Amino acid sequence: MAGADLIGQSVIRPDAHDKVTGGRGYPVNVSMPRMLHAKLLRSPYAHARVLSVDTSEAEKLPGVKAVLTAADVPQIPFSPVFFCPVESKSLVRDMLILSDRVRFAGQPVAAVAATSEVIAEKALELIDVEYEELPVVFDPEEAMQEGAVQLHETAANNVAKNPAFEFGDVEAGFAEADHIFEGVYQTQRVHTCYMEPRVCVVDCDRAGQFTVNSSMQHIFGLREKLAYALGIPQGRVTVIKPPYIGGGFGGKLDLGYIEPIAALLSERTGRPVRIEQTRYEDFITTARHAIKVYLKTGVKNDGTITAREAKSILDTGAHATHGAEVIMVHGLFGVVFPYRCANKKWEGFTVYTNNMIGGGYRGYGCPQGCFAVESQIDEICEELDLDPIEFRLKNAYQKGDPHPFNPNWSLNSYGYAEALEQGAERIGWNQRNPAGSSPGVKKRGIGVGTQGIWVSGCMGFPDILEHTGAIIKLNPDGTADLASGSVDLGAGQNTVLCQIAAAEIGLEAGQVRMSYADTNTVPFDAPIHASRGTYSSGLAVQTAAAEVKKRVLEIASFMMETDPEELDISSGQVHAKGSPETGIPITAVIDIAESPFIVDTEEGPGPSSPPDLKGTIMGTSSMAPPENPSPATALFVEVEVDTDTGVVDVLRCVYAHDLGRVINPNAAEGQVEGGMQQGIGYALMENLVFDQETGACLAGDFLDYKMPTAVEMPRSIESIFIETIEPTGPFGAKSLAEQCVTVPAAAIAAAVYNAVGVRIKDLPITPEKVLRALGKLD
Amino acid sequence: MKQLITLNINGEENEISISPDATLLQVLRNELELQGTKRGCDTSACGCCTVHMDGKAVYSCVIYAMAAQGKEITTIEGLGGNGQLDPLQDAFIQAGAVQCGYCTCGMIMSARQLLDDVKNPDEEQIRHAIAGNLCRCTGYTKIVDAIKMAADS
Amino acid sequence: MALTELKEFCLPESGSEVVSALDKYGDGSLFVAGGTFIHGLEARGFLSGVEALIDLNQLGLNTIQSERHGVRIGATTKFAALAQIPGFDTPAFGALRDALSYPPMQIMNQATVGGSIAASCPFFDVPAAFQVLDGSVTAQGRGGPRDLPLESVYAGLFDNSLAADEYITSLFIPEQHARSCSAYLKLETNANDLALVGVAVRITVGKALTRKDRIRDARVVLGGGLGQTFIRSTAAESVLNGEIVGEELFQKAAEAIAADIDPISDQRCSAEYRAAIGQVYVRRALQQATQRLE
Repeated sequence: MAGADLIGQSVIRPDAHDKVTGGRGYPVNVSMPRMLHAKLLRSPYAHARVLSVDTSEAEKLPGVKAVLTAADVPQIPFSPVFFCPVESKSLVRDMLILSDRVRFAGQPVAAVAATSEVIAEKALELIDVEYEELPVVFDPEEAMQEGAVQLHETAANNVAKNPAFEFGDVEAGFAEADHIFEGVYQTQRVHTCYMEPRVCVVDCDRAGQFTVNSSMQHIFGLREKLAYALGIPQGRVTVIKPPYIGGGFGGKLDLGYIEPIAALLSERTGRPVRIEQTRYEDFITTARHAIKVYLKTGVKNDGTITAREAKSILDTGAHATHGAEVIMVHGLFGVVFPYRCANKKWEGFTVYTNNMIGGGYRGYGCPQGCFAVESQIDEICEELDLDPIEFRLKNAYQKGDPHPFNPNWSLNSYGYAEALEQGAERIGWNQRNPAGSSPGVKKRGIGVGTQGIWVSGCMGFPDILEHTGAIIKLNPDGTADLASGSVDLGAGQNTVLCQIAAAEIGLEAGQVRMSYADTNTVPFDAPIHASRGTYSSGLAVQTAAAEVKKRVLEIASFMMETDPEELDISSGQVHAKGSPETGIPITAVIDIAESPFIVDTEEGPGPSSPPDLKGTIMGTSSMAPPENPSPATALFVEVEVDTDTGVVDVLRCVYAHDLGRVINPNAAEGQVEGGMQQGIGYALMENLVFDQETGACLAGDFLDYKMPTAVEMPRSIESIFIETIEPTGPFGAKSLAEQCVTVPAAAIAAAVYNAVGVRIKDLPITPEKVLRALGKLD
Repeated sequence: MKQLITLNINGEENEISISPDATLLQVLRNELELQGTKRGCDTSACGCCTVHMDGKAVYSCVIYAMAAQGKEITTIEGLGGNGQLDPLQDAFIQAGAVQCGYCTCGMIMSARQLLDDVKNPDEEQIRHAIAGNLCRCTGYTKIVDAIKMAADS
Repeated sequence: MALTELKEFCLPESGSEVVSALDKYGDGSLFVAGGTFIHGLEARGFLSGVEALIDLNQLGLNTIQSERHGVRIGATTKFAALAQIPGFDTPAFGALRDALSYPPMQIMNQATVGGSIAASCPFFDVPAAFQVLDGSVTAQGRGGPRDLPLESVYAGLFDNSLAADEYITSLFIPEQHARSCSAYLKLETNANDLALVGVAVRITVGKALTRKDRIRDARVVLGGGLGQTFIRSTAAESVLNGEIVGEELFQKAAEAIAADIDPISDQRCSAEYRAAIGQVYVRRALQQATQRLE
C-alpha cells in the first residue's frame, strides 16, 4: 500500500492553528452587509391552540423590518431529519415551520426580524398571542392509553411508529431456559451540549436564490429539507459548507425552526437574516430520547441465552423527528442484535407527548438499549454466579458469522473477544472483589459494558442515504485540494480525510488541504453521523485519490519511460517501486500536465507531451460503500462510591475497541476521551428535566444542567485499539466514535453494583438514588 | 441611549459607541469584530468567553463594557506576537487538544493565568484552573496534557 | 439577554455620586460589584424593571485593613484578594480557605465580598465562611452607615434586608481565637456549581484537644438548599458547646441540625437527601476543622 506510512500517524490537525488563534471558520462568525437579526416568540404552554396573533404593535417598533406568524408561512408538513429523503416512508412528516397548534413549551409561534437583536427581543414582547390551553400529557405510557389527549390526528393513541421484529420462536426459547430474568430500565433526556449554538444566516437574493450558512452536520440534507418546507425546488437553495463547526454530536442533524424562518424573513425583507439561538433555546431544541425498556431474557444454567423479548417505549415529544428512526436503531442494535440467539422478539413505540422534540445524539438509541441489555447481563451473572466476561464470550458473535442485520454480509473483521480480553487484563478484572465487599466508607468497584454490533455508516438501512463523493485536484506546488461535502464537527473529519488522501496518493502529511465546498460544487455527501466519516467518506476520498495517483503515474510513465505498474509515489516523489530516493518530484509531473501543449525550447517550438496527458490532474468519486462492517467495544471502569453521600467517582476507564485500523491515533484517543465525558455525564449527572405541570424546561442552562468538568473526569483513561484490518475499509478502517458514548452508562452501573451492591436501573445514577438504594434515606 | 467609551484591548485604544447594558463579550464580537472570544451560554457557566482583565481571567459575558473602561483587556488575539504563538497555543496544537475548538480560546486564557501564577502546576491544579471552562469534545485529557507541555517548555 | 430596559450604567466615584444616581432612578436602580450572578438571576426572572446599574467598584472599597480586634475588608474586594487577610493560613480561617477553593478561576477574579453577601444566595460558599467567623457588614445609605451582623442581611431567597438606597461598604471579621478552627464543605454535582448543601463550622477549644478542654463558641452555618437563607444551627451549637471533641459528639451535633433546617426539594435533589447530607457534612466538617489543630 503506497504512502501507507501516513496511516497510523498522529498527523496534526490542519485547522488547529486557526482555532487556537481565534477560529475564523465557525458559522457563528458569519456576517453579511445589511444583515438583520431575528428572534422567535415561543409558546409558554405545552399544548394549546393559537387563536390569534396580533403583531401590529411589534411592527411599529422602529427597527423592526418583518414579522411572521403561521399565516405568513407555507404550511407544508415535513420531517426535519437529514439523512432520509424527506418523503421516505420511514419518516413522519408532522412538523410545520409555524403552526396554530402548539405541542410543546417553547414551540415558536411568531418571529421578528429587526436591525438588532435587542430590538427584535423588544418586539417579541409587543406581540399579543391569544392561546387556548389544551390538556397536556407528558408521560408516554399515559399518552398511549385510551382516552389520552390526541396530539396528532394521524397517530392513534399517540403512537407515531410501532416497529416490531421477531426471529425464531421465543416461546420455545423461554421454555428451554433454566432461568428467566425480567427488568425495566429507564433512561433520561440529555442534551448534546454542542458548544457552538445553533446559528444561521440566510440570504435571499432578488432572484429568489437562497444562500445558507448554518452550523449543521449536513449541507445536502439542509438544502433538501429547507427547500421542501418552503415549497421550492432544491436548486433555489445553496448551502455553504463551513470550514468546521463547534460541535454537533448528532444534535445538528435536522432542519431547525431557525433556517426556514430566517429564509422567509430574508425573502420578505430583501436582506440577509441571522438567527442565533440562546443556550436555553438550544436545550429545548434537541435531545437524546428517553426510552423505557422492558427486557426479558431466558438463560440456561451455563449462561447460554435461549430467548430474549423486549418492549421499548420512546418519548418522542411533540413531533416524531428523529424518534422515527431512533426507535429502529435502538430496537435492532440496542436490543435485538447484541449476542447470538435464534429467538428474539421486540416491539417499539415512538410515542407523542407534550415534551420537547428530540434529535440525534451519538449512539442514536443504542446507549439506551446497551444500558438495559448489559445491566441485565450483569444481574444474570451475579444471580447465577457466572463470570460476566465468560458469559459475554459464550454468547458473542464470532468472526466470520453472518451479520445479524444483513446475512449477505459477514463479520469479516471482528475483535469483540480481543476487546473484552485485553480490556479485562488491563483493568485487573481478576482482582475484582465480590459486590459490596470492600471495607470503609468509600468503596471501589469494577464494571464492564460492551457493544458487540454497531455500524460504520448506513449502508443497507431502509431509506437512509449513504453515498458520498469527493473531488481532488493537484496544484502546481505539489499540494492537493480536496473538496467534499463532509462537515468537520470537531471530531477531525478534515484531518482524517486529508490524511487518507495524502496516504493514498503518496504525499506528505499536510500536503492535502480541505477546501471550499457548497451544495453546488461537490457531489452529494450523506451527513456526518452514524460513525460514517472514516469508513464511508474515507472510502470515497480514497477512491478519488486513487484516480489522482493513477493519472500521475500515467504521465510519469511517459516522462520516465517506464510502465506505470513499476512506479509508486512516496512523500511527493514518483519513483520506481522499491527505490523511493530515485525518480522525479510530483511537481515535475504536474508541470507537464499543466503546461502548454507546445512549448518554445532552444530547438524551437515542440510538444511538451502527448495532448492526452494535458489537463489538471484530478480524481472524482461518488459512490456507496460496499458494506457496513461492525466495530466492537468493551469498556471497563473503576468507580469509588461514598456510601455516606452516594456520590460516585469514576477513577479509571479502560476502553477497548476494534476499529479495523487506526488512521490517526491522537484523534482516535480524543474520540474516546470525549466519549467518556459524555458517557459519564449521561450515567451520573445529566438530566433535561421539565416542570411536570407546565412542561417548561428546568435545566435550560449550565447552572442546572450539569456535565463533567475537568475535575470530575477520571485521571486515567486508556484506549486499547484493536486492529482487525477490515477488508472493505479505507486502509482497513471501520468506525469508532459513537461506541465511546454507548457503553459507559452500562459499565458504570455495573461498577456501582460491584462497589456497593446496589443496582440502579434508571439514569442518571445520582447520589440520591444510590443513597436511597443503600437504605440510608427513609 | 448610546454612549461613547474607550476600551483598551490587546494594547490598543478603541473608541466605540455602546448601550449601557452591553457586555464586554458583545462589544468584542460585535463592535470590535474580535471573534476569538465566544459565546457558549448565557449564564456565565461555560467559559468560552474567558478573557483577561488586568491580567486575570474573567468571564467577559458578565463584565459590563462600561465597567471595563480603564482596564487592560487581553483576548486570544492578544496572545503571542510577532508571528509567534504563545507556548500554550503551540502546545494545544501539538498535544491534539483541539477538536471542535469552540472552547479552546477560553481554555487557553484560563491556562495562561495559571501558568503566569504557578510555574509547575500539578495535574490537580491544572484541572481546577479549567473547572470554569466546559468542553464537550475532548474529555479534557489532552487539554491537561497541553497545559503541562506548555508549563514544561 | 442583557437587561434590556437599562438606561444608564453609573460609575460613581464618591458616596454623593451614588446618591445622585439613586435620586435619579430610585427603585429602578440596582447595585452591582462583580456582576457574576446578575445574568443567572435575570435568566430565572428575578430581575425586571432595572433602569440603572450602579457599579460600586470606583469607590475605593477594595482594601483589606487590619483594625483593632479584627480585619475590615472592603466590599468590592475580589475573592482572589482574600488570601491576603492577616491570619488567612491559620486553622481559624480554614472555612474561608475551603470556601475559596471551590469557585472557578473566573469567579475568583471577579466576584466580590459585598456582592456575594448582598445576593442573599444560600447556594454560595464564601458568605457561609464569613458568617461562621462572626462576620458583620457595614451598609451605607442616605442616612449614613449602619452595622449589621451577617444573618440580618438575609431576608429571604435572593432577597436582602437592605433598604433600596443601601449598599454594603465593608465586611468586618473579628479577630479569631488562636485555638479556633473552622472548615467548609460543599456538595456540588460538578466543579462549577452552586451548593446543593453547604456546611461551615467553627469551634474553639483550649490548649489541647484533650479531656480537659471543652468546646466553646461553636458556630454551625448551613447553606445550599438547607433553607431559604443561610441558617445558623443553634441546636447543633448547643450540643457542641461545653463538650469535648470526639466522633460521637460530632455525630450528635450533626443530628441536631434537623431542628433548625427547612430544606428544599428541587429538580436537583430532594429535601430529604439534603437533610441527610447536611448531617454527614456537619460531621465531616467538624473532623476537618479539628484536624487543623492537631
